[in-house]
Amino acid sequence: MKAQRGDSLNRIGTLQDDSTTVPPITDFRYHSSFSSSIKKQPASAFFFIPCVQAYRQKLIENLSLDSQGRPFKIMVFRGSPKSSRKSIRFVDELRQEVAAIFEKDCKQTPYRCIPKGEKRVLDAPRLRNDYYSNIMSWGMNNMLAVALGHELYLWNSEDQAVHKLLQVRGGNDWPTSVTWSEDARTLAVGYMCSNLQLWDVESSKLIRSLQGHSGRIASTAWNGHILTSGSRDKSIINHDVRAANSLASCIKRHADEVCGLKWSTEGNRLASGGNENLLYIWEASKMSSSKFLHRLSDHCAAVKALAWCPYQNNVLASGGGLSDGCIKIWNTEKGICINNIETKAQICGLEWNRHHKEILSGHGYSIRENQNKLCLWRYPSMTKVGELGNHKSRIINLCQSPDGITVISAGADETLRFWDVFGPPTAGAGNSMVSDLQGLLSFRTSLLR
Amino acid sequence: MASRTVAKDIITLRGSAAIVSEFFGYAANSILYNRGVYPEESFAKVKKYGLPMLLTQDEENEIVGKEWLEAGKLQRVVMVIMSKATKEVLERWNFSIETDSDVVEKGVSREKSDREIMREIQAIMRQIASSITYLPCLDEPCVFDVLAYTDTDVPVPFTWIESDPKLIANPQMVKLHSFDTKIHKVDTLVSYKNDEWDEQ
Repeated sequence: MKAQRGDSLNRIGTLQDDSTTVPPITDFRYHSSFSSSIKKQPASAFFFIPCVQAYRQKLIENLSLDSQGRPFKIMVFRGSPKSSRKSIRFVDELRQEVAAIFEKDCKQTPYRCIPKGEKRVLDAPRLRNDYYSNIMSWGMNNMLAVALGHELYLWNSEDQAVHKLLQVRGGNDWPTSVTWSEDARTLAVGYMCSNLQLWDVESSKLIRSLQGHSGRIASTAWNGHILTSGSRDKSIINHDVRAANSLASCIKRHADEVCGLKWSTEGNRLASGGNENLLYIWEASKMSSSKFLHRLSDHCAAVKALAWCPYQNNVLASGGGLSDGCIKIWNTEKGICINNIETKAQICGLEWNRHHKEILSGHGYSIRENQNKLCLWRYPSMTKVGELGNHKSRIINLCQSPDGITVISAGADETLRFWDVFGPPTAGAGNSMVSDLQGLLSFRTSLLR
Repeated sequence: MASRTVAKDIITLRGSAAIVSEFFGYAANSILYNRGVYPEESFAKVKKYGLPMLLTQDEENEIVGKEWLEAGKLQRVVMVIMSKATKEVLERWNFSIETDSDVVEKGVSREKSDREIMREIQAIMRQIASSITYLPCLDEPCVFDVLAYTDTDVPVPFTWIESDPKLIANPQMVKLHSFDTKIHKVDTLVSYKNDEWDEQ
């Protein structure tokens, strides 16, 4: 200590009184050496007092006397009530906002029942093992549309009836993207050969064929009467399906295939993910000018999985491919990543749970964990609640039911597995799940032949 | 010998207090920006002291009330930078103030060229900006506090509370330039926690 003090003196040449912290007053050995080194300093002559008590008193005083022997007191600025002292970074602020909202609302359910097995398994022969396609969609009309190879089937979740909607003749073309319109009256089907079709399902008739792309259409998304399609030709096209000339705007920003497209719940923002690992956020009103709102380059692999948060405006979750394996939560207002989870596995789909503050991720290849699994994460803490999955090979797509209780995972093992994972946590639901587990894994309803 | 007559301006106590108070505002902002306590986006560039200075958008930039300076009761202003996680003090920017008591008591004014004062302040600002070359990296999120050392008879305003000095144990210290309005003299010193790499 003494040597240190000498050093500081030499360095500056004048005594700066707050250069060291003073140890407890009871340590007299220290203080005697302390005072001898102060001999150089004229102002502190008061140290040489024989009586211990007076010495102690002077020491206390010294702590609030500066080098000129003037007494002082120290105050710290707290700020006026209205200007909150923002002594934290923006990211922390955002996280705190998010956490504060949900700490209040979230009923802490310590035991969350996750079903051990699927509720149902459907055979899905010839389901294409292609990461980029989005071949499954569950409409508001409770119909699941799924493309298997060259054929497109409709499965009615109420009566389990199956109906083949279309079949593509010729070997080189097949559906690569399937999406129900918001009112489930129209089904949009995008093809390998760049065709985009609108089907009326009531009458099983093709309504329209939309042109515009020159490469396969792997992703589509509806926003009211606007149908947005993303293609291998790197462009995003907005079609107004009511107009005779449907092409409303064409955006060429991505440097590679557009494999993820999702409109926000309010319909004001579009998120597009590309195979060049970029995620763009667009504003509905500015799409004709190709000006993006944010360009987010945090991912290190294709961004296919996108899902907007149902309970927080402008919060988006995105999932990266094999080299990335991260789920990133974004504040799309500010374009900042507010959370990041490394799942270490390829992410093919993300679905938010509307009944609990959770998000589910579907996984494909992995060198380490979570291979072929579905993982459930609590939001906003992003702690893992659990995992499910019995797929024998990678999961390609995820979609959830209109009532937000069931999630389907489509796997490369040619199965569609139904998981009642999003349901409310009541004991009743848990019990019915148990009874369903009777016919567990071997239960296959071969409906699609 | 012909001497260069530098035009001198009259500096009043009030004027000097204003200069010093303004200096603290800009210096504090400069420290926050250069040390990365606030993200860069929250700063806007303004022209001051002949340099591009950065100010935060919605913080009130007058930290220290001029009343203390005018009464000669402010002894020093310290900006303390602490780790957000551990609250350990990492850096201490110490601005000591010496006030000419004659001016306070008798209300006289002094003379000094405004330009000269500006130049002195400019030198300090430049030094603060270049301090990042030797100060250890602050790679964790940090928070800051502003301390005021005043005479004991100053009442504590409601935006301040009594505090401890928040010292650094075994600090490294670097003395920067000072400036003098002839009424207030401000010395600048930065002390920082010894970087582990510096151990001999």
